[in-house]
Amino acid sequence: MTSGFGLGLRTEHYNDFLAEPQPVEWLEVISDNYMVDGGKPLAMLDQIRANYPMVMHGVSMSIGSINGLDKDYLRKLKILEQRIEPMWVSDHLCWSGVHGRNLHDLLPLPYTAEALQVVKRNVEQAQEVLQRPMVLENVSSYVEYNASEMTEWEFLTEVCQATGCRLLLDINNIFVSAFNHDFSPSSFIEGVPIESVSQFHLAGHQDNGDILVDTHDHPVCDGVWDLYRQALIHFGYVPTMIERDDNIPSLLELIAELDMARAIADDVLNPKVAL
Amino acid sequence: MNLSELQSDFQRALFDSECKGADWISESARGLSARDRLDVYYNAYRIRLIDVLLDTFEHTAIYLGDDWFNQLAADYVQSHPSTYTNIGLYGRDFPPFLAERLADDKEVSELALMDWTLRRAFDGADSTVMSLDDLQQLASEGNEGIHLQAVPTLSISTQHFNTLDIWHAINQDQTPPVVERLPQPIDILIWRKGHSPHFRSLAKIESAAIACLCSAGSLDAIGATLEKDFPDVDVATEFGVMLHRWLDDEIISIDP
Repeated sequence: MTSGFGLGLRTEHYNDFLAEPQPVEWLEVISDNYMVDGGKPLAMLDQIRANYPMVMHGVSMSIGSINGLDKDYLRKLKILEQRIEPMWVSDHLCWSGVHGRNLHDLLPLPYTAEALQVVKRNVEQAQEVLQRPMVLENVSSYVEYNASEMTEWEFLTEVCQATGCRLLLDINNIFVSAFNHDFSPSSFIEGVPIESVSQFHLAGHQDNGDILVDTHDHPVCDGVWDLYRQALIHFGYVPTMIERDDNIPSLLELIAELDMARAIADDVLNPKVAL
Repeated sequence: MNLSELQSDFQRALFDSECKGADWISESARGLSARDRLDVYYNAYRIRLIDVLLDTFEHTAIYLGDDWFNQLAADYVQSHPSTYTNIGLYGRDFPPFLAERLADDKEVSELALMDWTLRRAFDGADSTVMSLDDLQQLASEGNEGIHLQAVPTLSISTQHFNTLDIWHAINQDQTPPVVERLPQPIDILIWRKGHSPHFRSLAKIESAAIACLCSAGSLDAIGATLEKDFPDVDVATEFGVMLHRWLDDEIISIDP
């Protein structure tokens, strides 16, 4: 288990990480970007990995697909996992396509007993290949299903208990989905097992007025910082990172945002006693 | 509705030519309607894939201009559901799609094929490149029939138009030349040297030699083929020059 605060490694910052040590304790890499045959992506990954612990974060496992997991994808993921020896491997609680098609999105699942069995089967398949617990992230969602029989946090809890997998709580995704589906973000935070949470994501979103869209192209907003504070109070310290996927700012700017997370965590976890 | 039906219906809804909504989505007490909520995913699917095409086919997009490229990309997305886990591979059939749609503007598909092949070379398989010392070592060991093999990123495509000039002009932010059919088609070699994709045009004899390199691979076989197909050329001299250039260009692999 790592400690400290991390960033998502993006191509725009390769040179910053290669030029000099950066005040970042670990890096998260998008697994899919490095599941390639060779060339610059893997060369950069190897060089940066030499100086930073890493975690792997995938976007295409489609762990909720009725069709089961893509064995070739798992094979490539395992090869990458052996190459960079990450602290953990995460993906999303979602599905991305069925019947040989891919929608390249993180689509929400109906929270049903049947879907739970499908996810349980697929998580166990992934864990069997990776020989380690999977870490699952909650997604932002824009639809809910009539078929759902339980809440998202109840579903996540059941998955953790049934498979031993762990959770990556995306605080922004909780904020976005809570707004979009009119539930209390506190209920989510208080509804998942404390001991299962391995990582926090912090990110920005786009406010379209009547719906929030998880774009990862904005700084973290005040509401998400407040929810982060609440999560720290509930879970205690959890490795935390800023996730920016679009409109990528300078590394300096992201580190300043990460320092904000550090300051909040310090404030919550190490309260100053007034003399 | 079970999970299989729901996922199939959801997928079908996103592939449809218009977003029609779905009765298996909950109507929210506030905010957007179920149809508008589904529309978020419907639009995101298209935007994401068009962005991938824009990124992969950068020169082609500049050559066509935003409006024309986006329309063609949107048509491609609508008619080609993605079958790739790796979204970067989605544009594989875009060059032939353009060849069919723009049958009177074939330089566009040639440009797209060039964009595509360069992108694939970028993260293609690594290999250990043969040096002059490696080749001399093999020769000094007196091996009969030295076998050569091309690096895995190497490929050849044929162009019938001044597409190479168009690509260069776009790459240098200059106005592309007027399209012209070439008197003779030319072969273009694409490969990766170090971390960077490279390309250059090939003379007929070098194109034939590289085709041999990719199939038979032995020095003797390449020499014999060139002797047969180019009887008026001093093959020994030409092949020697070519071999040195191949080593400089890093197109020969020493991997077994």
